[in-house]
This record gives sequence, structure tokens and C-alpha cells, in this order.
Amino acid sequence: MKNVLGNKKAIALFVIPGLVVYSCIVMLPVIWSFYYSFFSGSPGLKWEFCGLDNFKRLFTDNNFKDALVVNVKYIAVVMLGQVGLGLAMALMFKFWLKKGKNIIRTLVFFPVVLPTVAVGQLFSKIYEIQPNYGLLNSLLSALGLTNLVQPWIGQSKTALWCLCAMDIWTAIGFYAVIFYGAILDIPDDVIEAARIDGCGGFKLFRYIMAPLLHSITIVCLVFSFSGTVKMFESSMALTNGGPGNATRSLSMYMYLTSFSYNKVGYGSVIALFIFFLCIIGSSIIKIFDRTESYY
Amino acid sequence: MKKKMVSFVLSVAMVSAMLAGCGSTTSSGSAASDTTAASGSAAASTAAADASAATSTAASTTDFTGEDPQLSKDLKILSIWAEDNDNGVLINDICKAYQEVNPNFTYEYEVVSADDLKQKIATLVASDDLPDMFAYESGAPIVDLIEADKIVDIGAELDKIGDSAYVTDSATSLLQTLSGTDSIYDLPLGMNVEGFWYNKALFEQAGITETPATWDDFEADLKKLSDAGIQPLACGAGDKWGATRLINAYTVRTLGPDAMSNAADGTTKYTDEGYVAAAQKIQDWNNEGYFGQGVTTVDMNTAGSMLMSGKAAIFYNGSWFTSNLNDTTANLAGEDGIGFFNIPVADESISAADSYSMNCGNILCLSKSKYDDATTWFLKYFVEHMGDEAMSKQGSIKGYTYTADTSSVSGYTKLVLDEIDKAKSAFTWYEATMNSEVSTVTQDNVQTLINGDMTAEEYMQSIQDASDNSAQ
Repeated sequence: MKNVLGNKKAIALFVIPGLVVYSCIVMLPVIWSFYYSFFSGSPGLKWEFCGLDNFKRLFTDNNFKDALVVNVKYIAVVMLGQVGLGLAMALMFKFWLKKGKNIIRTLVFFPVVLPTVAVGQLFSKIYEIQPNYGLLNSLLSALGLTNLVQPWIGQSKTALWCLCAMDIWTAIGFYAVIFYGAILDIPDDVIEAARIDGCGGFKLFRYIMAPLLHSITIVCLVFSFSGTVKMFESSMALTNGGPGNATRSLSMYMYLTSFSYNKVGYGSVIALFIFFLCIIGSSIIKIFDRTESYY
Repeated sequence: MKKKMVSFVLSVAMVSAMLAGCGSTTSSGSAASDTTAASGSAAASTAAADASAATSTAASTTDFTGEDPQLSKDLKILSIWAEDNDNGVLINDICKAYQEVNPNFTYEYEVVSADDLKQKIATLVASDDLPDMFAYESGAPIVDLIEADKIVDIGAELDKIGDSAYVTDSATSLLQTLSGTDSIYDLPLGMNVEGFWYNKALFEQAGITETPATWDDFEADLKKLSDAGIQPLACGAGDKWGATRLINAYTVRTLGPDAMSNAADGTTKYTDEGYVAAAQKIQDWNNEGYFGQGVTTVDMNTAGSMLMSGKAAIFYNGSWFTSNLNDTTANLAGEDGIGFFNIPVADESISAADSYSMNCGNILCLSKSKYDDATTWFLKYFVEHMGDEAMSKQGSIKGYTYTADTSSVSGYTKLVLDEIDKAKSAFTWYEATMNSEVSTVTQDNVQTLINGDMTAEEYMQSIQDASDNSAQ
């Protein structure tokens, strides 16, 4: 085995088929997209070479900036919410829940398997204000908080946060299950020893659980980041990017530009930006990984 | 050394085998052509003869007034209506009926979602594979296809076959206006008027005895309704276009029917005073509470239900709304509970009372690359029969002349037919002259305008900016 893996040709033989497939399905479209970014119009319709115009436009396009801000806010809130609350939920399963663990775990995981469109419909009913109050406004009204009754997804200041809440609710069960599996792997005697040493509550989490859950947290953050950076379908289902462009993400803007505005070249530039955003985001998460590894 | 030689020889053998394999089609083809030269050339000449015969048949059928020559054709249709729904029924029925006239005619009917239509067409254009006949959007979207020379000049074809009169003058005029051409490049699939539907019981409750004829009367009625504790307007601002139609109503009545086309071609600016005033109007109405709470979350269906269930008094929509009104389970107002009035005039000299907002709905185009004589014969049959088919089957007007009896149609459909008869001129909807980019900005930002997150000036400026950017 050592001889085989010591031979560069043998390694090449193992690596090349995978590399070819990866290149065809990942790298080729990226290169294709890069090529398209030098053209204006849509293939077959006013398809002309335009040099760097599409790249220049990116820096002056306010719609792009708005979509980027929406996307970054969404990533920050939803990533923290999904992973943070998922971890909290897993800790609750382990330390607080004594009865009905299975039922509660199933209920928490249930939204994960629901189709996004169904979840969008469900939440649009929860946030509804006209013709009848939805669940949220009805509750507020019943509690006498009528001044808080408002069109939650119909106004810019609340629409994005309502969308974040929906997506956190949907994915929380997924992360809870992953964290719960990792917590079960922590030997009980470690926790018991920590307790004997006087660790309780927060200290137990900070000095025992958190370091042991470090690598699974990084994995969850990467999962959550890759899920949120491509924000599209949930926003489409709940608010259709509105009101105005309050919930329009980069992916949605790219789609609009390419397929509604027939500007495939400029759409490709936005797609390339999303690609680099993914690389930058993943690299930042990796930095945390390395920093923690020094401990 | 020997091993190297062997491996070299094997490599050469493999490479040559590979090259031979790659070139097999050509070489075997040429070998076959050598050995079967006689039969091959015979077959080729037969094929050529067939082709020339077909060409000559095609060339000979310059007269389309006689009997259908029953040319062979497999027509591919891309539609947005299911076979058992709306226009899908009519298109399929026409095709089936034509099969009786021409047994050599077959058709394939493909349905895509209306939301995906433009994307699908863009992809098919890119691959130069547009189907023979396809649904598309009238207005600015069709202009790109015309400029790229992808679709048939249907007006010229109808002139050639002598069937121009089957498409009504109003439909022809509207389609020409929408595409900005002297001819029509699409077939209409609807002839709709738009205006205000109102709940008669709520009007009576507020003490309004007759429908408003002027804009001042209209605003006075809105105030009366509001004072009587009735929500004056239902608006589907969640679907965006429901709100821009209201801005269009005021824009056209105060600036004239050419207002939007003037702004689109740069004669005027979207930021001019009159356009801003129209945008301000809709924001003011929301500030007055005329739309109720959270209007940007209400879609057109919900808004329609609010009118029919007596939760709102007035609702702007097109004549296609009759399909909801004719549904007795949905229309709680009953068979005569809902009325219709045209957009009230602000100044009769700018926009007349008999001028209606009209549209042709989605339209059908014919691919230029697939167009042949067989399609011309089908086109002839289509325009000659569509009017009667639509009237007799659905009681609807599609933009074609008809001879079918209209006495048996329902009350609401009759109401629409009467309104269409009253129309002496037409104007289009707010986004009709805008390209996709400007149209999207217009619709997206109308929600922020209504909410008050954007001023009327900012809203119109955003449209002007989009218009300037998209021209780059």
C-alpha cells in the first residue's frame, strides 16, 4: 500500500477521474459563467461582446448593493439562529427533558421535512392581517397589544426578520439532531468529573461541552452558511422578495437579471460574486477552526 | 528496452484505433456510398425529388382562398393553459376541429407555468428551437422577438390569405400599439376591459345612488364609504400589478392615453409632476386607510373575495374577473350584487369617458423558422373559427369577429360585453411600454410606495433610473 501511494503516477490514476468529473460539473460552469460575463443581452437575443461593462456596473448598481446587504443580514441572523438555537435545543434534550424525549425530538425535527412552499404558506397565514388576523396578530390582539398588530411581511422594517424567523424555525430541528448526536458521544464520566470539580450550568458548557463540540459546531456553521448564502426559495414562497426589495437576495437578483431582464452576462457576474462570497465565507469559518485548534 | 518498444507500439495502436473509432461514421459512410453508389444516388435523387415536390407544393399554394390542400404538419404548441382550462380548451378544440378538415395535421401541446414562460422562451430562442406556436406576453417583451426576427408578421400573413377582417379592429389596434409596429406579430387571446367593480349593497349602505362619472365624484364616494365604516377599496398590492393599475388609472385620466408611452420613449420623464401626482394619490389613499391594513400582503384573489363577501366596496380588475363572479359559491353578493364602472374621468378633453383600459391578455406567436404553408392553412382556420368557438363555449371575446348568439350568456358576462361595446378607444396598462427591468422595479417599489417607505418622488425616480440603466 505504501508503495502504491508513494508512486505519483498511481496517485494521479486515483485522482484524475474524480478531478475530471469535478472539473466538468463545477469548474466548467464557473469558467463558462466567466466567459458569459463579457457579453450583454441573452444568447440569441442581442448577444454582444461588451468587455468589462458588466463588472463596472456591479459597483454602481444599487439593486445589487441592496441585495447584498439583505443577504449578509440574513446569513448572520439565520446562521446564528439555526446553529445557536439548535445547540440550545440539543442541550435541552440532554439535560432538561425527562419525559417525552422522542415525541419532542420528532416534533422539533418535523419542519425540516416540510416543503418550503408549504412552510411559506403556513407562515404567510401566521403573519396575515387582511382579510382576517393571522395567528400572530390574533394573539397580540387578544393580549391587548393592539398597537403591535401590523402587516408583518408587508412592510420593509419587519419582513426580513419574519423571513429569518421562519427559516430558523424550519432548520432548528436539523441542527438539534446533529448536536444531540455529538453530545451523546461525550462520555458521561467526563461530565460527572466536571460536576464533582464544581462545574455547573454555564461553566460546564463553556469549559467542557463547548470544546468537545467544537468540530461539530464548525461543520454545522458550514452547513448553515452554505444553506443561507443561496437564500432563494423561502423568500420566494413567503414574500416574493418584497415588499419592494426588502427580502430580495443575491440569488434572486441574479435570477431576475438573467431570466427576466434577459441580461445573462450581468447575471453571470452576480453569480461569480456569489461564488466568491461562498469561498470567502467558508474561509472565515475555517479561520475559527484553526484558531480554536491552537488550544 | 523491449518493454518500452512493446508499450510504444501498443500506445500507437490504441491511439490509431481511437482515431479510427472517432472517424468511423465518416469513413463507413463514404465506404457505403462507394459500394452502394448507384442505389445511394437513386435514393438521393428520390429524396431530392420529394423535397422539390414538397417545395413546389409549397410554392404553388400561394392562393389560400380555396379548399384546404391537407398538407402534412406536426404543429408544436407551447402554452401556459392546461388542456382543460381557459384558453387551453379553445386551442385544443380548434386543433381537433382542424384535424377533421386536414387529417394530415397533428399537434403536440406542451404546458409550462406562466411564471416560467419568459425564461423558457429565452432558452428556446438561444438554442434556435422555438416551437411553431407559443404563448407569450404582449407589450415590450414581444418587441425583442420582433427585433431579432424570430416571429412571423401575422398581420402580413393575414393580408396574404385575406383574413385580416377576422381579427377585430380594436384588437389589431391594441396589439399594434403594444408592439409599436404597423403590423401585428401576435394573435390575441382575450379582449378585456378593466375598471372598477363595486359592491352594490355597500354603495347603498353608504348612501351612494349612482356610480361616479368624474374623478372628484369618485374620491367623494371613497370618503363617504370610509365615513360609513366601510373599507372603500380592496387592492391586490401583494401581486403588485393590482396597485400599479390604480396609478395608471389616474395617470391616464390626468395626462392622456399616451402618457406612459411618452415616458418610455423619453418624450417626457417619469419624474414629471403629473406622474408623481398619480403615485402620490395611491399613497394618500393608503394613508387615509382606504385600503385597510397591510394592503401589500393582500393578493388579487383575496381582494376579489373581499369585494364579493362585502368586506370592501370597490375593486379594480379586468373583465376576466367575471369567472369569479359567475362562481356562485365564491360570489356571496349574488347574481346582481356586483356592478362595474369605467375609470372616472378627470378632464374629458384629456381622456374621454368612452376610453377604456383594455388588454389582450397573453398572446400567441408563430415561430418564423418553423413557419410554412401548412401553418398558414392552420392559421387561416384558427382566426376564422376562434371568435365563434370562444363565444359559444365560454361566452368570452377573444379579439376575433364572431357570429355566435350572445343572448344566453350570464348576467356578468353580458355586462362585460356591453362595456366592450361602449368602448370607442383604448389605453394600455402601466407597464405595457416598459421592458422587464423597468417593469420589475415599478412593481416591486409600488409596495414600498404604498407603505410610505418611499415618497412618490423617490418612486418615480427609481422608475426613471431603471429606464436609464436598462437603456445602457
